[in-house]
Amino acid sequence: MREPPYRTVLKPYGEALVALARTRPEVVCLGADLTRQTETDLFRDALPERFFNAGMAEANLIGMAGGLARAGHVVFVNTFGVFCTRRCYDQIAMSVAYPELDVKLVGFMPGLSSPGGPSHQAIDDVALMRALPNMTVVDPADAAEVTQAVAAIADRPGPVYLRLKRGEQPVIFPENHRLDLDRAQVLIGGERADACLVAAGMMIPAALAAARVLEAQDLAVTVLNVPVVKPLDTATIVDAVRHSRMVVTAENHSIVGGLGSAVAEALSEAGVPVPLRRVGVRDRFAESGSREYLFARYGLGTQDVIDAAWHGLAIERAPPRAPVVPPVPGAYAPV
Amino acid sequence: MSGRDRDDATDRAADFRRIASRMRLSAVRMVAIQGFGYLGQALSSAEIFATLFRGGVLRHGHDRFVLSPAHYAIALYAAAAEAGLLDEQELDTYGRDGTRLEAIATERTPVADLVCGSLGQGLSGAVGLALAVHLAGEDRVTYAVLSDGEMEEGQIWEAAMFASHHRARMGTLRVIVDANDSQVDGPVTSVTTLEPLADKWRAFGWRVADVDGHDVTALLDALVDDPDDRGPLIVIARTHIFGRMRAFPRATDGHFIKLDAELERALTAELEAALA
Repeated sequence: MREPPYRTVLKPYGEALVALARTRPEVVCLGADLTRQTETDLFRDALPERFFNAGMAEANLIGMAGGLARAGHVVFVNTFGVFCTRRCYDQIAMSVAYPELDVKLVGFMPGLSSPGGPSHQAIDDVALMRALPNMTVVDPADAAEVTQAVAAIADRPGPVYLRLKRGEQPVIFPENHRLDLDRAQVLIGGERADACLVAAGMMIPAALAAARVLEAQDLAVTVLNVPVVKPLDTATIVDAVRHSRMVVTAENHSIVGGLGSAVAEALSEAGVPVPLRRVGVRDRFAESGSREYLFARYGLGTQDVIDAAWHGLAIERAPPRAPVVPPVPGAYAPV
Repeated sequence: MSGRDRDDATDRAADFRRIASRMRLSAVRMVAIQGFGYLGQALSSAEIFATLFRGGVLRHGHDRFVLSPAHYAIALYAAAAEAGLLDEQELDTYGRDGTRLEAIATERTPVADLVCGSLGQGLSGAVGLALAVHLAGEDRVTYAVLSDGEMEEGQIWEAAMFASHHRARMGTLRVIVDANDSQVDGPVTSVTTLEPLADKWRAFGWRVADVDGHDVTALLDALVDDPDDRGPLIVIARTHIFGRMRAFPRATDGHFIKLDAELERALTAELEAALA
């Protein structure tokens, strides 16, 4: 594993989508007046005949995607996560999910990664998409996972929701890292752990940083990367948590209905009797602000993961402090 | 028009009146089994579906057919049986547990390429299908049946704007609206003012034909291809929710009809008389 601050790359999604479309003539790209913001200016310029801008009309956008997919296309739909999920939920349910069409919904600016306030912060997109039958929900953590996710979701039959950080993508995982849509991955860990940290997407850096701090306190820690929230790799998660004294879930999303809920459901049904703490947005709308400010203020920081593990283990002394990683221009560090 | 042509046209109109009457009779029988259903939709749209499925308009298996208001499934089933696409006996399963002929059409529904039980979504799907036709360089025509009530949904107008703006990137798209002035809460005109419907669609960049929806000749003329203009076409078919049948009590809710034995007998007698 690399160490923060992580170097970043620009537009890995946009480049991967063009590369995919060059080899797959059935791939088409739809957007809704956010072309550069969704990195699909690359697609528009490279393959204009297969690019369609629906304008600010998301309901129609989803309906057209369904029609194109019904005719045999693999349709990538690109907009911000809030507009992609909240605004046209019934359209996704009826025009995409129910008929199991090859529509890949790509929602940018997950959770509190947007400075734009509640209208632009997708804190419930995973919950909404997870509730739909037939839907696969993907929350990748780094540039390599984003690149690999594009071909992987195109190969997976049926509808997919892919939530993507906008702008610079951190390079977190080593060169040989492979995204597997069917498996969660143990990033850190041995046979037994005091705390099992189950994280996805933009909370992976915080989970890794928290693990280092806890390990320095002579605690054994497992970190699981869960890039696919649905269908959940229950087997890997249950197995890891069975060998832990407690579990923390960490997601850049509401604690209602996302990764934390999915893990809680899986552990309850499997009868795993360990304490569970959920790190995420605590059932509230946030505000405008920088990622650093919002993650710290709304409980998405490394310190929040440390505290959750510490209190879950019922350790009486004060929890250790998270390291402060000074910001480096162009690099990415956990809060 | 020569005398011979006029006679042919008169014969054809008479043929279609019989087809529409048979479809209405099928619909009465389907609804009579359970005593309730979406009968009004079949009565108002019988000529529209007769035109599409028996008028040489829709090339089944080649052209695309979108049924946006899925409650109109009853009309689709009746028309499909008339066109030999569905076994007449299967109509008896309409709306029953386990049937594929569900009262509100679904992904299991035969004959249609796309249906929408949640109203207002069908035109977007039709536009998507028409975009795919153009990308593939095919000559399929995309037909979509819409209802007037669902034009209260904003998505219809999103799709209307897109289709007009992107007309050069789409295969031929033809929409027929069953303007029967009926929705759940009563006449559309009493709920929301949609008029002037034709002017609205013209303003959105569509070719518009505004016709008597019970006149098959007018419907056929409106759907004739104009090879010089491939812009999207909408045919506003003005209809009566009970298909101008005399047997209907005026107070009946047209959206979802409870059919008692007396009404069934009266409707059946009127339709059988028309077919005699």
